[in-house]
Amino acid sequence: MSYPAAASDIQVGRADGKSASAFIKGLGLSNIVMGVITAVILFVFVAPFLLVLVVSFGEKIEGASWVWGFDFSNYIRVFVGVDWPNSVTLLYTLKLYYTLAYAVLGSLIAVGFAFPFTYFMTQGSRRSQAMWLVFVLASLSMSEVFVVMGWDILLSNRSGLPALLKAVGVTDWLKETGWLTVLRDWDLASPRNVKFKTSQLATVLTMAYLVWPYAVILLFAPLSRIDRSMIEAARTMGAGSVTVLRTIVFPAVRLPVFGSLLLLFVYLLGTYVTVTYFAEPAHQTLPVSIYESIRGATLNAPFGAAQAVILLITAGIFIGFSLLLARLAERKA
Amino acid sequence: MIKAAFKQGFMVLCAIYVALPIMVVCLSALNGGRSMLFPPEDPTLGRFVDFFVNEPVWLNSLENSVVIALSAATLAILITWPIAYDQWKKDTTFSKVLASLAGLPFALPPIVFGVGLSFLWTFIGGLGNMLTGILSHTALLAALPLVTISIGLQSIDRAHLDAAATMGASEGTILRTIILPQTMSYTLSGFFFVVVLSFHEFIVMFFVSASSYATVTLQIFNSLRNGFTPTMAVGAITFLIVSIIVFSLTARFGDLPRLMGADQARKD
Amino acid sequence: MPGLVLAGIKKTYGQVTAVDNIDLTFPKGKLTALLGPSGCGKTTLLRMIAGLEDPSRGTISLDGNDITEKPANRRKFGMVFQSFALFPHMSVAENVAYSLTIAGVDKATRRARAEELLDLVKMAGFEDRRIGQLSGGQRQRVAIARALAQKPDVFLLDEPMSALDAQLREAMQVELRLLQQKLDITTIVVTHDQREAMTMADQIVVMSNGRYEQIGSPSEIYHRPASAFVASFIGKANFLKGKAKDGGVDVSGFLFRPEPAASFLNGSAVQIACRPENVSLSSADEIGPNRLAGTVTFLRDIGPTREVYVETPVGTVICEMPASTETVFSQGETVSAEFPPHALRLFPDTDDVAGAQSRSDTGEGGGSIASNKQDVAA
Repeated sequence: MSYPAAASDIQVGRADGKSASAFIKGLGLSNIVMGVITAVILFVFVAPFLLVLVVSFGEKIEGASWVWGFDFSNYIRVFVGVDWPNSVTLLYTLKLYYTLAYAVLGSLIAVGFAFPFTYFMTQGSRRSQAMWLVFVLASLSMSEVFVVMGWDILLSNRSGLPALLKAVGVTDWLKETGWLTVLRDWDLASPRNVKFKTSQLATVLTMAYLVWPYAVILLFAPLSRIDRSMIEAARTMGAGSVTVLRTIVFPAVRLPVFGSLLLLFVYLLGTYVTVTYFAEPAHQTLPVSIYESIRGATLNAPFGAAQAVILLITAGIFIGFSLLLARLAERKA
Repeated sequence: MIKAAFKQGFMVLCAIYVALPIMVVCLSALNGGRSMLFPPEDPTLGRFVDFFVNEPVWLNSLENSVVIALSAATLAILITWPIAYDQWKKDTTFSKVLASLAGLPFALPPIVFGVGLSFLWTFIGGLGNMLTGILSHTALLAALPLVTISIGLQSIDRAHLDAAATMGASEGTILRTIILPQTMSYTLSGFFFVVVLSFHEFIVMFFVSASSYATVTLQIFNSLRNGFTPTMAVGAITFLIVSIIVFSLTARFGDLPRLMGADQARKD
Repeated sequence: MPGLVLAGIKKTYGQVTAVDNIDLTFPKGKLTALLGPSGCGKTTLLRMIAGLEDPSRGTISLDGNDITEKPANRRKFGMVFQSFALFPHMSVAENVAYSLTIAGVDKATRRARAEELLDLVKMAGFEDRRIGQLSGGQRQRVAIARALAQKPDVFLLDEPMSALDAQLREAMQVELRLLQQKLDITTIVVTHDQREAMTMADQIVVMSNGRYEQIGSPSEIYHRPASAFVASFIGKANFLKGKAKDGGVDVSGFLFRPEPAASFLNGSAVQIACRPENVSLSSADEIGPNRLAGTVTFLRDIGPTREVYVETPVGTVICEMPASTETVFSQGETVSAEFPPHALRLFPDTDDVAGAQSRSDTGEGGGSIASNKQDVAA
């Protein structure tokens, strides 16, 4: 017996041994492709960061642009002011402080709300998960500009929340009970009504809003990987929902949650539009002043670059931490 | 029962919180007058006509947005595919370093990358050129297809590659007949992520366009100086619809939960 | 030399030796089963034959030609994978014709060949289905057809039945064997299931720890196991440990005489293996050599056979008899178990017994001398 007869005329021919020339050609092509890509990565992806670093040591020339140089005067100016050591100005240190403070609060609030949301989401079916993900991704992709536009309308004195509060009588009640005075002390009210624009509260809340979808996406992976039978086992041993969360879910996702916090924090360090719209000038952050130095009124590229480097280093440190955490989490798993 | 209601309630509240500002922007587009009021006064669809017909500045910026997004996405795929493939295939130190460098711009604050790019393009004389804008977005967003393609490559069953090899397929043939088709949905997801994020990206484009051209997002920001107008909201609506369509397609044709890192074993 | 010949094949991963110095011949047109517990190196050996792994040492030759250096895609060996590895982005016919497509065979011929092969594996009419629409058994048939499409010189199957349920497995084993005989193709099957190996193979290679323990026909391996490992891995066996004494074995004072007499040095540690179906039971008063008295502790009827567990002074002995046997024993009864001289196999006493670490399933705990085949069926 042999193969069915009709097939006998088909020959799957195969050359014996490796075809040397084709092999070398293939190798060469892939090397050329990788070479070109490496060049592009170095030139477009990496060089900009190096340029920022180099320019930050340069020197501004009055009336012209700037020249190359190598001194630390721009960094000294960021931390202790241009007139140091005669006097110390903490203007830019304060901006760095606001940058960090807004980012910390924003990312904490975002994760605080995103955690239960994502936990509930991962308990749903695959289909409902996909639908929520579309929703979250669509809101995640909304530009900061659109988000600020939306909150600006919602918080504006003429047509937003303050108008609503006044219309339903909350404002009058606040006035009678004296709470409006308290809110004024907190910078959240004018003599006539509550006021959210401009305020640090509005800044932080909008920032939290910006990263909330990111928080959901970051938490989705670790939460959806929790073994459901583990939770069910805990249930059968008498653990309630809260106990399950505390004893099973939290320990399992502690590291990724902390890692997500760090990543969101780094993301918020660079917020620009929100701060220019919702924070008053005295409470503004480094990104705003970087823009002012590079493009805006002051035009001092080396000084802007120095601020950018400080922002970069801050971000780098925290990214380093989050990578370390990720590695720890991986080792535990 | 109460617990389920609590869960549902919490999720819906979060959804409302997320949707509220977006809804407000969308509804504002219906304002009849020039000012941005909510709820809208004198509802009309005239702003849509303004955006797409009467005011060429909007249509122009929309065209710029589309050109930049599609070109940047294409370039990003072309750059990241070989990087992801090299890392998956060989897993050398070089390929790992290259992959992390490719993800660098996305991981660090975009304003710093924007500043650096504006220096770079100033030096080589391309600042304000659309091409440099495209390259800038390619670099900023390349991390996304890099991740989706890597996930796609990892999801390939190695037995498929062995099977193809025993049937006479060379490395190149395996790439063409097995790997590329099986990772197509992941590649497309990466492409669409770049398109959508490029549409909405603001700060880097702000620096590298140097006010010589504008995308819709930039145009809106520029117009903000003269106060909000309902016409801008039409731009926001257009982009929102594009985002929802793109992500729904990704969910329909690809495995969105898996792409987001869900455990693949669980399918209910 | 015709057929596939392995000479001095060795494979190491760092410190670990997966396959150690294997010399094997796979005769042309015959089906050889590589049988062994998981981790014995059988899959690694198969992958080296396929060209998917490079041997650390040794040569592989086919009909006298050295093919050690040939990559998998130039060997023209068809392989069926454990997971079947069917391409989900192609239809059934496209999967089957894959090797022809990449070889540049024209479309009409490809289609004709795919139809022919699918007909051969009884899957005619399924050409345009997607892989996701097929059941496990159908997938296996497609995988077999696909591997045969290029008219392979050698046909390799890696645990081909492990993804199927028990009933289907039996049927497919017979069918695959018939197909192999019809095509007269040199075939190598990797399996951990002794029943599967015995159903299909002309020749069985029993492997453990990267080496082979015995090569032979299914009946040789069952009836004349070359080592205690083979005796324990293939089928069930009662093991009795003792000392060699004048051509017989002294097990704690009980004397066993095999036929023909054993040639161990007096006093050396020896173990006896005896298949349960060879042990016969009778009433307690019969005495003599090759006998152990004991108490029945457990009985079970498993369809065609009945098993009786007997607690003896040297441990539990399992006796298997046809269910139709008229003499019925009851629990607690005192009986005498006879071990016929011709059914005794003697081996040096090492601990080299498959599943030696696993709990014996006699339910009696320690002290059991009955070692059953590890039940590894999925």
